[in-house]
Amino acid sequence: MSDKQKLFQERLARYLTALDCGKPDKVPISFSVGEWAVKYTNSTLQEVYYDIEKGNSITSQVLDETLSALDFDVFGGGISLWWPPMFDVMGSKLYKFPGISLEENSTFQYVEEEYMKADDYDEFTANPTGWLLTKYLPRISEEFSEPGSYRSCVALIKSAAAFAMANNSAAKGWESWLGQHGLVPAGTGFSKAPFDTLGDALRGMKGILLDIRRRPEKVLAACEAIIPHNIAYGMITAQGDTTFPCFMPLHRGAYPFLSLEQWMKFYWPSLKAVIEGLWAQGKRTFFFAEGDWTPYIERIAELPDKSILFIIDKTDPVKAKKVFGGRFCLYGGVPTTLLTYGKPKEVKECAKRMIDELGYDGGYVLAPGGVVMGDAKRENMLALIEAGREYGVY
Amino acid sequence: MAVSTLALSRAMAELQEDRVLAEVKDLLAEGVAPLEIVKSLQQGMVEVGNRFERDEYFLSELIMAGEIMKSTMDILEPLLSNEKGDYKGTIVIGTVKGDIHDLGKNIVTMLLKGSGYQVVDLGVDVPSDRFVEAIKKTDAPLVGMSVLLTSCQEALRDTVDKIRAAGLKTKVVIGGNYIDDTVMRFTGADYFATTASDGLRIAQEVFGA
Repeated sequence: MSDKQKLFQERLARYLTALDCGKPDKVPISFSVGEWAVKYTNSTLQEVYYDIEKGNSITSQVLDETLSALDFDVFGGGISLWWPPMFDVMGSKLYKFPGISLEENSTFQYVEEEYMKADDYDEFTANPTGWLLTKYLPRISEEFSEPGSYRSCVALIKSAAAFAMANNSAAKGWESWLGQHGLVPAGTGFSKAPFDTLGDALRGMKGILLDIRRRPEKVLAACEAIIPHNIAYGMITAQGDTTFPCFMPLHRGAYPFLSLEQWMKFYWPSLKAVIEGLWAQGKRTFFFAEGDWTPYIERIAELPDKSILFIIDKTDPVKAKKVFGGRFCLYGGVPTTLLTYGKPKEVKECAKRMIDELGYDGGYVLAPGGVVMGDAKRENMLALIEAGREYGVY
Repeated sequence: MAVSTLALSRAMAELQEDRVLAEVKDLLAEGVAPLEIVKSLQQGMVEVGNRFERDEYFLSELIMAGEIMKSTMDILEPLLSNEKGDYKGTIVIGTVKGDIHDLGKNIVTMLLKGSGYQVVDLGVDVPSDRFVEAIKKTDAPLVGMSVLLTSCQEALRDTVDKIRAAGLKTKVVIGGNYIDDTVMRFTGADYFATTASDGLRIAQEVFGA
């Protein structure tokens, strides 16, 4: 076994032990290379977005050079999240990317609209996939505005090819990052809460918040219809893997978007069903709870033991540990704002406090408490890793 | 008459959409002055804001209140054309350059309008020059800048600088989920708000009404 393979096995054992709420030899540290790394290069974000190989090579450079002397376990991914050409070829209206509609060093932004109208609910609920194909696609992309036309067929071929190209580049990147550094992936697969599927992409925040007052039964029926799709989507995108958790970015469920009563009625039952459905197949959920989820801790505790990995952003860490400790692995705790505005010393103090509070008996992964934005400082990112090994050896 | 406008305020506070619209039409038919009706809707909106402050109402209720208010104003505004000049004051508002998020801006705009302010909404991704132009044109004593992305702080600071460089004495409030005292000092703004009701309170302070 090569040194890298040996390192991989050690780190894998460390991560999996923590995921099962056990106490490994060291607190696993999870790290990602994000847009923050680009400002230390000669490239603009526009170049990195459009030239996926450039994004990959900057990620490799950070791993090879900047992080070469540092020891961490889990890798959350490189810089490139979306490859804009795959949206451009379908005339997508969903995103604004740097360089064309935003400044060259801006991050991408989502254009939230009611792509699904209030009177689409019944048709959507009866056949979600059919509705997406015939109604949603034509609305979100200019090239698909006439389904079945020559133009839409060409766009379909081009966008499918672009998607495959982007996936291929990402897969190659991952292979080299993990293989050459003996790192373990944070997760495999992707899914969402049904209420977020509706609220993010289809009805938008305003639409869904009006719907829960004007047509609550239709919202519930649509969420119910989405459950099997989101379970399947999680397993398919993970290619059947059940070793690592399924990434689930959670949006509209953060407090105080909804009241506790609304959350219990509209957000939770279908999300719980997706998590339980994945868990029935042995797939753990990466409960990516950005924002504050403190008021819902007791409800989340209804989930089966070890079925989730819970990220602490603004959720009260002490309360989370008290209720979740020994039942769900905790992850994060270092505020992303501290990584932007703080100093390395403050980042280290925070990491130490999180290790003491959340990780004293195991079941904890040290990491930022959310997606790290482009304005984070490199010295703070490095301080986080340093603190992990300085204070996180059991 | 007082009894029916009170019922309207209550229906507004309770977010009874159909009932509010029916009451507005009934009151107009009874000959009640449109401005009286608007005032009673505003009382209802103030109660909506109070309930939000007490954590009895959440975002869904604020947005619903905004929608109801908008439907009623569609009916009432054309009738108000002869009664202009009754605003508490004018406020310019917009999301700063580089940021296209508008939910927070729209909610605070709705609450401010509902409380009797005239709001000039410049939309999203607004360059600093457009803020300056709008302030000059309206002579607004207060300007609100909304932001969600932390990377847009430079845009906030730049806009405040431009306003000051133009010699305008307008008070500046910046609003957004992550905004705090540090960000306020960095940008040179006069006030900051993290919720829509903060924004309303600041307007009351600036306008004394």
